[in-house]
Amino acid sequence: MKVKVISIPVQDQEKALRFYTEKLGFVKKIDVPLDENNRWLTVVSKEDQDGPEILLEPSPKHFEPAKTYQKALFDAGIPYTQFNADNVQQEYERITSLGVEFSMKPTEMGTVKIAVFNDTCGNNIQIVEML
Amino acid sequence: MTHYQTELEKLKSICYSNKGQIETVIGTRHYINSNFDQDLNLDLLSHIRFTSKFHLLRLFKKYYGQTPKQYLTDTRLGKAKELLRSGATVTETCFDVGFDSPSSFCTLFKSRAGLSPTEFQKSNFRKV
Repeated sequence: MKVKVISIPVQDQEKALRFYTEKLGFVKKIDVPLDENNRWLTVVSKEDQDGPEILLEPSPKHFEPAKTYQKALFDAGIPYTQFNADNVQQEYERITSLGVEFSMKPTEMGTVKIAVFNDTCGNNIQIVEML
Repeated sequence: MTHYQTELEKLKSICYSNKGQIETVIGTRHYINSNFDQDLNLDLLSHIRFTSKFHLLRLFKKYYGQTPKQYLTDTRLGKAKELLRSGATVTETCFDVGFDSPSSFCTLFKSRAGLSPTEFQKSNFRKV
């Protein structure tokens, strides 16, 4: 078995697509309508377009436990997932200039540097750099 | 401060309070990243960091969860994939990333990537 897709719960798929592409720089990979309101929608890293896909999954809209879990993580400041960056400080400055809000500015944690931002779709997302 | 930040502070004080150790392992990792194509071993790495090889091994494992040798192998294989994608031959790739035997390089590559270097190249070839 191989790991090809990871899922991020989002409250609004179209809004999530705009955020993950226009702000974070990911590229849309798959976009298949499932019903009138939902899509199988994935994005990939621009630098690794054949790599793992991020499924922007509207689970909080359709499944109450998913909504509850997402909110609990968000309220506690816990990131839903993390992405690697070559330079967290640079990414922080770039993304901040695009209007993204960070709950944690770049901070060293031992052998890594991390920062945490709001993806506007219900999640905190962490970026991490190996020092 | 969020709950997450509070937990991170606790973790920092428990796991990451020794700056000297952290500098040692970060420095070692950077050295491996810059010299992966050379003949590196624990004696050399520990000599560069002015520490005993057993201490370096223990620290590196503590902070990165793998030995310097394992990290070196991962780095070499990662670079090998880049070279293969760009069209380098298997033999060129083997020696360019620091392996000294094409047959053992191929065996190791296949065990880690699930494909031989040639098969990997065919399925991933991109013109630069």
